[in-house]
Amino acid sequence: MVLLQISEPGQSPSPHQRRRAAGIDLGTTNSLVASVRSGTPEVLLDADNQYLLPSVVRYNALKESTVGYAAYLQLSTDPLNTLSSVKRFMGRGIQDIKKLGSQMPYELTTQVDGGMPNFKTVAGDVSPVEASAEILKVLVSRSEEALGGTLDGVVLTVPAYFDEAQRQATKDAATLTGVKVLRLLNEPTAAAVAYGLDQGAEGIIAIYDFGGGTFDVSILRLSSGVFQVLATGGDSSLGGDDIDRVVAQWFSEKAGFSDDLSPSLQRELLMSARIAKEELSESIFTEVNVAGWTGVLSREKFNLLINPLVDKTLGCCKRVLRDAKLKASDITNVVMVGGSTRTHLVRQKVADAFHREPLVNIDPDKVVALGAAIQADLLVGNKPDEDMLLLDVIPLSLGLETMGGLMEKIIHRNTTIPIIKSQEFTTFKDGQTAMSVHVLQGERELISDCRSLARFELRGIPPLVAGAAKIQVSFQVDADGLLNVSAKELASGVESRIEVKPSYGLNDKDIARMLQESYGSAKEDMLARALREQQVDARRMREDLLAALKKDGRELLSDTEYSCLELTVRDLDKICDSQSYREISHQIEAASKASEEFAARRMNVSIKKALAGHSLDDMERGI
Amino acid sequence: MAITMTPAAEQHVVKHLAHRGHGVGIRLGVKTTGCSGLSYVLEFVDKSDQSDLVVASGEAKLFIDPKSFAFLDGTQLDFVKEGLNEGFEFKNPNVKDECGCGESFHV
Amino acid sequence: MNFSCDYFELFGCPINYKIDLVLLDKRYHELQSKFHPDRYMRESLHEQRLAVQYVSFVNQAYAELKSPLFRAKYLLSLQSINFSDETHIVHDPLFLMEQIELREKLADIRETDQVSVALEKLKEDASLRYTEIQEMFEGQYNKNDFQVAFDSLAKMQFVSKFLDEIERLEEELDDF
Repeated sequence: MVLLQISEPGQSPSPHQRRRAAGIDLGTTNSLVASVRSGTPEVLLDADNQYLLPSVVRYNALKESTVGYAAYLQLSTDPLNTLSSVKRFMGRGIQDIKKLGSQMPYELTTQVDGGMPNFKTVAGDVSPVEASAEILKVLVSRSEEALGGTLDGVVLTVPAYFDEAQRQATKDAATLTGVKVLRLLNEPTAAAVAYGLDQGAEGIIAIYDFGGGTFDVSILRLSSGVFQVLATGGDSSLGGDDIDRVVAQWFSEKAGFSDDLSPSLQRELLMSARIAKEELSESIFTEVNVAGWTGVLSREKFNLLINPLVDKTLGCCKRVLRDAKLKASDITNVVMVGGSTRTHLVRQKVADAFHREPLVNIDPDKVVALGAAIQADLLVGNKPDEDMLLLDVIPLSLGLETMGGLMEKIIHRNTTIPIIKSQEFTTFKDGQTAMSVHVLQGERELISDCRSLARFELRGIPPLVAGAAKIQVSFQVDADGLLNVSAKELASGVESRIEVKPSYGLNDKDIARMLQESYGSAKEDMLARALREQQVDARRMREDLLAALKKDGRELLSDTEYSCLELTVRDLDKICDSQSYREISHQIEAASKASEEFAARRMNVSIKKALAGHSLDDMERGI
Repeated sequence: MAITMTPAAEQHVVKHLAHRGHGVGIRLGVKTTGCSGLSYVLEFVDKSDQSDLVVASGEAKLFIDPKSFAFLDGTQLDFVKEGLNEGFEFKNPNVKDECGCGESFHV
Repeated sequence: MNFSCDYFELFGCPINYKIDLVLLDKRYHELQSKFHPDRYMRESLHEQRLAVQYVSFVNQAYAELKSPLFRAKYLLSLQSINFSDETHIVHDPLFLMEQIELREKLADIRETDQVSVALEKLKEDASLRYTEIQEMFEGQYNKNDFQVAFDSLAKMQFVSKFLDEIERLEEELDDF
């Protein structure tokens, strides 16, 4: 049974045309999903009435995975097979990951090509993308149950400061689940949407988003439905996890543990640190009991421990204000997002930095998913009259390697997307016929300080004297913030185009393999089911139409109309057993259009008949 | 006969209208869909039509156009939860036959 | 969608150095509301691509008109005077002296007691100078004195780069 939702005026969907969309916040610590139902964005609950899904995946020897709270409980007992904070590994190379902390409670396998490291588990090597896909699958199926049907698309949020590789990895994870990604949306922008639409915030607002593994700060101008991001900044490897780590480190020192901790002890310390942190949001000291050591952590000491981390976020705030060409006093409102903003010191220091009390009206854990749900509802087409518009920016500059190992910026950070920019280069040797193009992302001048995204070669340049050939390299960043690069020799028209697949991402072959392995059979089942449903619909439609023609056709239709519809019946008949979903759905649509007028006339007749049974008096009395 | 709402439906209608921030009530109706079926209309109302029939149920107002009324007389609008799924349901005594999922029906 | 019109025409602003930023913003939002790819999600792939291209064009145009430096460059390019950093030489010894002094000040600033205060002061001075040159450019441009305006543009470029350097240093100081 399909349960109905209230639509906007004139937007009631036709049967089987209901468009379902959800917003997913794939977080470092917790993930959640929200959707707009009857015009109201709501987080979707699981069977236990929980909306937060711990972003933890556990694998067993049978290659089965458990996601969420059940997996979370096994973190310290089965550390090597239970993956948490996977988001911090997305689109990262082993060097980046080593920077996150000296010890990791995992075994990692490095890739020969310098790609993302995999986790070594009993189920074999698991990439961070695959583990993220497991989390997404749970949320997608939760939404499909809650919305009563297949999702037409999702808006997936990413930290605003995520670079190309991290964004691409996130999109790849969604590809593995088979769900359509309507848009990658920056988390702070999503939060602004939730505040702007629900709380009517206007003016210049700063979104301070301190999550489990990432920190973002965005400054937006909100005016009559337009959300224009002026600047964004942050640190994609700074979050609550780091707070836990410094606290765990302190416990370890106090308890006199050696530096070489076992994975399960590391996990135990981290989990105790997290609990202590949470308790210190409420009280001024907390008792700690971990691995045989007992002690007390006061909020004062805690604040001292984490102060450098909080200062780091404030440094980002300063920079973003400067990029936006604004002063702290220009900000109308500061919005707090992310679990780490529950920490006392964070709230206090942010209030001081912006000279105003930050807004916390919407739960900082929910706000991103709610904003994403609003955008998803819009993009899927459920609110054609809504004038909301999001204008977002690219967080990090994009450019090319030039001579001397320097990076030349083509698109500067904080440029509004989508954007296309091109730059002309020339050959530097006589008779040069090829040119290599090295695409980079980052703010620093030396290429070794920037992230290498891709290298490709433009061949077939006509041999000319040095400096005569004109090579145009175009960068195109789409509305998801993803990059496409092409190079063209202008005189000969030789062209080379690549979708930038960052070195740290997965290549298409990997994705194809994973698709087949992890989800091939499920996808087949789903497609088969959808096809069967379509066949049933086509048959039903054929029977309905045939019955209607028999009953009223001669009476209500001209001869031409009648034979047209007979043809429609025949077409449906032919198509009923087709194995092509698209073919059937196309025919159903065509038949539906063809019979619209007939249906309307039949309805008028039946209204007349129905009204003949009632008098107007009856109707009024009945009301 | 009449058109009514269960308390659960009324509560949700009021909640959604409040969240939307504008609108005078919701519209119940039917429309033709493709071949010979009908399907339900459930929409917010910003401006009612003069010919609309109005049912007040507590704080919520229902608007029904006279053409649709013939098909909806006796209907009770309910709000139900089935597992994780939740939404409105038309309990309509006029329905003789409906498609498997209940999205289109005949009278 | 018209990719060939000039930026001023695109936003319905008169071709002038002085620009009404409120009007620019308003027109920008109008164009975005109409053509942003989000509005074309249910259209064909071809239309979606076209929307991305057009909005990219609009974004580029908006960014250039909004920037005092790029707006000046663009105005002169409409007069077929194309500015390139490498080729233009400023022949104004006083200005050059002043620039050298400013740069020396910046180089020494790390040694000062209160770096951020000194930096703020330097930034203020340079910003003031920047505004003055913009006003000069505007006057010259309005008199159709494009070659002289070109000279001012080169100066603008100098000061703009200097301001960028100040920002880079500020950034460095923010990183603890």
